[in-house]
Amino acid sequence: MLDGIKVEIDQAASFVSDDLIDPASCELKIEPIDLRAFPIRLQPIELKSIGYQFPRAGGGVSVFRNRALAGQPGSATANNTAAQIGPHAASQPATSNNHGGPNGSSGQNNSPASTGSLGSGTTAAAGGDTKPAVPDYKPPKPKKLTRIRPPADVVKLEDRLYYLLQPPLELLVGSEQLDFPFEPFPYQLDGIAFLFPRYAAVLADEMGLGKTMQAISTMRLLLCSGEVRSVLLICPKPLVSNWLREFSVWAPEIPVAAIEGSAATRQFQWTSPDIAVKIANYELLMRDRDCVLDQDQHFDLVMLDEAQRIKNQRNSTSVIVREIKRTRSWALTGTPVENSPEDIVGIFEFLSPGYLRSEMSMSTIAKATRDHMLRRTKDMVLEDMPPKLYRDAELELTAEQVATYEKAENEGVVQLENLDQQLTIQHVFELVLRLKQICNFDPATGASAKLERLVADMEEVAASGQKAILFSQWVDSIEQMKPALARFGTLEYHGRIPHKQREGVIKQFKEDPSKHIILMSYGAGSVGLNLQFCRYVFLFDRWWNPAIEDQAINRAHRIGAAGSVTVTRMLMAGTIEQRIAAVLDQKREMFDELFSDSRAPGSAGLSREEIFGLFNLRSPKGKIAA
Amino acid sequence: MASVAEAEPAIGFYTVEQSEFTGWTGGLLVLNASGRPLEFQCTLPIRPSRAHEILYGATLREYLIGDAIGSLLISRCRNTPRMICCDQPEALHLDAHTASPMMLVCEAAETDEGPITDDMLPGYDGLELAGSSLRVATERYEEVSRLLAMFRSLPDIVEPFGRIREAILEAQKQVARARSAAA
Repeated sequence: MLDGIKVEIDQAASFVSDDLIDPASCELKIEPIDLRAFPIRLQPIELKSIGYQFPRAGGGVSVFRNRALAGQPGSATANNTAAQIGPHAASQPATSNNHGGPNGSSGQNNSPASTGSLGSGTTAAAGGDTKPAVPDYKPPKPKKLTRIRPPADVVKLEDRLYYLLQPPLELLVGSEQLDFPFEPFPYQLDGIAFLFPRYAAVLADEMGLGKTMQAISTMRLLLCSGEVRSVLLICPKPLVSNWLREFSVWAPEIPVAAIEGSAATRQFQWTSPDIAVKIANYELLMRDRDCVLDQDQHFDLVMLDEAQRIKNQRNSTSVIVREIKRTRSWALTGTPVENSPEDIVGIFEFLSPGYLRSEMSMSTIAKATRDHMLRRTKDMVLEDMPPKLYRDAELELTAEQVATYEKAENEGVVQLENLDQQLTIQHVFELVLRLKQICNFDPATGASAKLERLVADMEEVAASGQKAILFSQWVDSIEQMKPALARFGTLEYHGRIPHKQREGVIKQFKEDPSKHIILMSYGAGSVGLNLQFCRYVFLFDRWWNPAIEDQAINRAHRIGAAGSVTVTRMLMAGTIEQRIAAVLDQKREMFDELFSDSRAPGSAGLSREEIFGLFNLRSPKGKIAA
Repeated sequence: MASVAEAEPAIGFYTVEQSEFTGWTGGLLVLNASGRPLEFQCTLPIRPSRAHEILYGATLREYLIGDAIGSLLISRCRNTPRMICCDQPEALHLDAHTASPMMLVCEAAETDEGPITDDMLPGYDGLELAGSSLRVATERYEEVSRLLAMFRSLPDIVEPFGRIREAILEAQKQVARARSAAA
């Protein structure tokens, strides 16, 4: 019998999972996770704001467009209308003194620019990645903008912001708001931006740079913005018509009137609220003192033209203008310092009494006035201004003049010496004037070397179709030269020409091609006239003060000059004229040294000692009666 | 935004300045149709904490410009501008916080953003004012087109952002001076 196969499992060669690991030992205890929250509390970003309203914006524009000025007395000043409607800056959190550069923009440029997404298609830069550079992209070059910047003495933030937030002047010019007949020069816009926010300011630009236009345009801005409602402009009498004319050009919508006529008329004008800009001359202030100083009379702005008129603090005009009740005080002058630093102290007594003192050094005065005074010269601002060519005509007296001159001088000096202690400065002046007149014309024969030269020069001027201005100290000299100049078509503008005719004279000179020369006295014609169409200026005799001569010359050499201006200064060799010129040149050099910066006055009159020195005379001891 | 009866149409300009020294400062300038300032609101500078920077991440800028700062300034403004111009695309989000339409002034934005092209802002259409290109939400295009007629005399809509930056700088200087004096 066959035994069955016995199958056995070889336990040694077999694998059972249980063989290796005891199931009991596989138990893995997992501890429960004990969850704990660790909160990161994100503080909300705390924001605070400050805010200001400017209710004055555009307040006056429509008023003046309609030429119906509301006659509200008083003024809206920068201090009393700004309303703070949020927490004040004092409550701001700590900030660093170190700002991010101009306009605070550097931080923005340097920051990781993670521009946020806007929908799906914006310039997303997730994860803080910097924005991909735009190849070859150049942002448009910013154009020059003239902003009104608050002066240093405006402290309140809302007032400072009011000025900073005004539109740049370039955007106003030519716009519906400020239509100018001509495009202003950039420096003129700077001048407007300087005057606009200031309550005490001197615009001391060199003659011919357009102080009038800058002042009128700023007044216009202030009136149209409702910041001022009443302006008093005080100027020398001969310039009143010029100011009226300039207002019609630069601010035709502003109601302006000259205070003139009978006492009743003037009283009405002084009190009329319909005249936004009143123009009065200095001489009138004395007569209308009661009106102008009336306790109910207040001006938002009082502006003095040719403000050197008040440099002497004690004269009656200075006293009156200082008493006028006003909010803003401006002064225009091309010669802020004519003779001494005392002049500018006098002007500042009107602007800000006590701000300057006579005993201050020039450097202290210069520092103190820096924020209140703006002076530019043609060299500084007009690179393309046509040149001013000086031609000193040193002439020899005619034989007749020599004889008369020597006799007058010798006798005069002897007389002065004989006066001894009785000698006054008037005595010396009389001799100087007599000699200067002889330099012009021999009183006996009418002979004149200057006139001969003038006629010769005028031949050329007239032949080339040009026009010339002649200045003399004396109307009598002008009368004497008229016959010889008649063929050149002469016109006259001096103290003997009635004021009402003067504008017509200027108009004819400008428009009539047959009129080649206008004869002017320094007194009447040296300021305020625009004769830039003239290419020639003749100074028949020299004035005491170079500043006056400069003013005269700048009637022609000013903005809009057609070309170079040739100035012929006539001087008789070996005479008192040459001696005066030498002293004045020395003084000009001294002032140039004193005013080493741009504010050089370029003027200096003769002192008492210098006048005596013209004849080698010594001033008598003790006080000289002047 | 406070409701104040408007005598004349007003337009707003909004921007946010960021400086590593002072932080983020927003300014809202409201002008009349002639470009004269009617109102200015600005925030005090804020400095987000490190936690904000981490947790907001890339959205921090968007949050600050398009939400936190802008909405506060708009709510404080007493004049209601008919529309608000901005020079940062993130500010267009402020549409959610104001009834006044938000517009991006492309020429003003391009200084930081580079050229603004159509594909960068889908859903926004182009308009023009004062010689500058605007981007406005498509759904408000018709409304803004009508409103623009009120502001045709504005000579420039890029320059007001410069005024805001100047004003912010002035305010910061004032604060610095006050702190210096108090110290």
